[in-house]
Amino acid sequence: MSGGTPAPAVRLSEVTKTYQSGAVEVAALRGISLAIPVRSFAMVVGPSGSGKTTLLNLVGCIDKPSTGTVEVCGQRIGELSDNALADFRARTIGFVFQNFNLVPVLSAYENVEYPLLLIGMPAAQRCERTLAMLDAVGLSKQGRQRPNELSGGQKQRVAIARALVKEPGLVLADEPTANLDSETGASIIELMHKVQSRFHTTFVFSTHDPHLMSHADAIFTIRDGQLVDHQEEAAQ
Amino acid sequence: MSLLLKIAFRNILRNRRRSAMTGSAIAVGALAMLVFGAFTTYLFASFQTNLVQRIGHLTVFQKGFFLFGSGNPTAYGIDRYQDVMDLIAGDPVLKPLINVVTPTQSVVGIAGNFEGENDAAKTFIGVGVVPADRDRMRQWNEFGAGRVWPADTRFDAVDPSVGLIGGGIARILGLCAPLKIANCPSPPASATRALVAANAPADPEIGDLVRRDVAVDNPGAVGTMPRLDLLSATANGAPNVVSLRVAGLDPQGIKELDDNYVAMQLGLAQQLVYGRGEHKATGIVIQLKRSEDLRPARARLTALLQQHKLDLEVHDFAELTPFYTQVLGLFGSIFLFIAVIMGVIVLFAVVNTMTMNVMERTNEIGTVRAMGVRRRGIRRQFVVEGAMLGMIGATLGLVLAVIVAAVVNHAGLTWNPPASVNFIPLRLELFGRPALIIGTWLGLVLVATIAALIPANRAAKLPVVDALRHV
Repeated sequence: MSGGTPAPAVRLSEVTKTYQSGAVEVAALRGISLAIPVRSFAMVVGPSGSGKTTLLNLVGCIDKPSTGTVEVCGQRIGELSDNALADFRARTIGFVFQNFNLVPVLSAYENVEYPLLLIGMPAAQRCERTLAMLDAVGLSKQGRQRPNELSGGQKQRVAIARALVKEPGLVLADEPTANLDSETGASIIELMHKVQSRFHTTFVFSTHDPHLMSHADAIFTIRDGQLVDHQEEAAQ
Repeated sequence: MSLLLKIAFRNILRNRRRSAMTGSAIAVGALAMLVFGAFTTYLFASFQTNLVQRIGHLTVFQKGFFLFGSGNPTAYGIDRYQDVMDLIAGDPVLKPLINVVTPTQSVVGIAGNFEGENDAAKTFIGVGVVPADRDRMRQWNEFGAGRVWPADTRFDAVDPSVGLIGGGIARILGLCAPLKIANCPSPPASATRALVAANAPADPEIGDLVRRDVAVDNPGAVGTMPRLDLLSATANGAPNVVSLRVAGLDPQGIKELDDNYVAMQLGLAQQLVYGRGEHKATGIVIQLKRSEDLRPARARLTALLQQHKLDLEVHDFAELTPFYTQVLGLFGSIFLFIAVIMGVIVLFAVVNTMTMNVMERTNEIGTVRAMGVRRRGIRRQFVVEGAMLGMIGATLGLVLAVIVAAVVNHAGLTWNPPASVNFIPLRLELFGRPALIIGTWLGLVLVATIAALIPANRAAKLPVVDALRHV
């Protein structure tokens, strides 16, 4: 890293990940090295089975590499215990899932509030932050509704609010528009781009969606577990 | 309400049918344990009341009587028993605890009915009591679980020869008709002869002795009450006979006792055992006001006797009636058996429900783990759910048990407790023992919590990536 250049949000060095499938060892990632700049809107693209989700799992600190090092927001994750990793995720990383993954028994408000409870934020501040975040994603009137009372787009907005409410250093989104119609998907992309600009958070997506890719600051193309292309400052 | 409890409660409501089934299993378990426990409580109270009314809480004996005295009660008489009674009744520690202090005299011998055409005799087990003290003892009903007896006017203290006998001995000695006892057959004439032969004293001259002595001692003993002649050996070994006028029955709950039981006034029993010698007492019976004072009263009594260097020993009603302890043990074992069965049912029901919950919520587990919940947070979540399920089920069971107890207590049912001949109201003493309610409730909640630990551990150990991949 040269002087004056901020440290990347994510840095992978010669990362491999292999899985044992019966007697066969399957290599999901084969020596990937990359750096994702802070406050970027980065995409990981590639065909199915290329290793996108595995890469995101490592960056999200919910999995560990077989070899190599993964550094997220300045923290090498291989050195952390399971509890320390959980605490690190609670403070630093927000997730947006393809299937929204909201807690079904909690209202939209409670789902958004959940990450703040995990980091022990005081009640008054928690309430203020949650309401502001719901307002930011346009769901200030749906706070009391449960996930089964919301549309797909609304659920994904709640998921985005939940990921951003603690103002994490990094937000990971695994194909966030895959289960949405194109119009809703477009509105979600627009929303994420807007909140990314507002909160200056680093976003990392895995996607097939060309519309989403058109918003990317950086695109990492993966095939057969290897990084085959890397474009910075793609079409804005 | 914390998020943990909120999620737990809402998940229980979310799977209503499954939760209802598991909650019902826990409720049935609680109901069974509470109703049986309430019945057992009442059974123990009834049984204890019956015993304490008859033999008091504590009895002071001459040392050795408990082990050897029944073979020769006369050898174990308490000298100057009235002084010992005064010592006990006057003790400042014991005085406020005591309801009755009364002497008793045991006697064994042969009872004969030789009136009219009768010529029947058999062995008897007799007890001499003070009628007024007996009446007071039979008023004791601390738990409201027994019959409060009115003063027994049949046991007329004015005439010291009046007594009562068991139903069995009355039948055997042919006193059913003279006593006008319903449902008590008189032996046929042919059988009477055989019975007489079987029960008669080995030495035929004893029958003659009885007739002669009674005629001498009680020349005018003719009344409306049938008479029994009681033969026993005095403390000096000489045969002695007294005449008992049978005022009625005092049925006993155990057949062997009922076939041999003779209750007489203390003076008559002492006359039979000691003749014209110094009258002693076999035991000094102490009835306390409250059973819970038994232990301190016994300790104080023992210390008091030692302090005065009296060669006496103290036994409580449970020691004197091993059957009581056996019944307690039997019902305790049945309760334990029911508790274990119910515990196992609850255990499996909760394990099954929580395992299904974990399977259905695997993706949710992965999500919250990714968000930063630690393994122990996941474990705690499912354990709290299991405990909450246990609390709901156990509380429901408690409510049902209260309803069942109220119905039973107002239904007017009666029953015959062990070793008793009297039918008393059947009650379920649910609120008499808070330990039963709290113990059952806590026990079932604990089992449900432990049961939830197994699937909760499994949930906590799920790798986040695998959990998120779960569909």
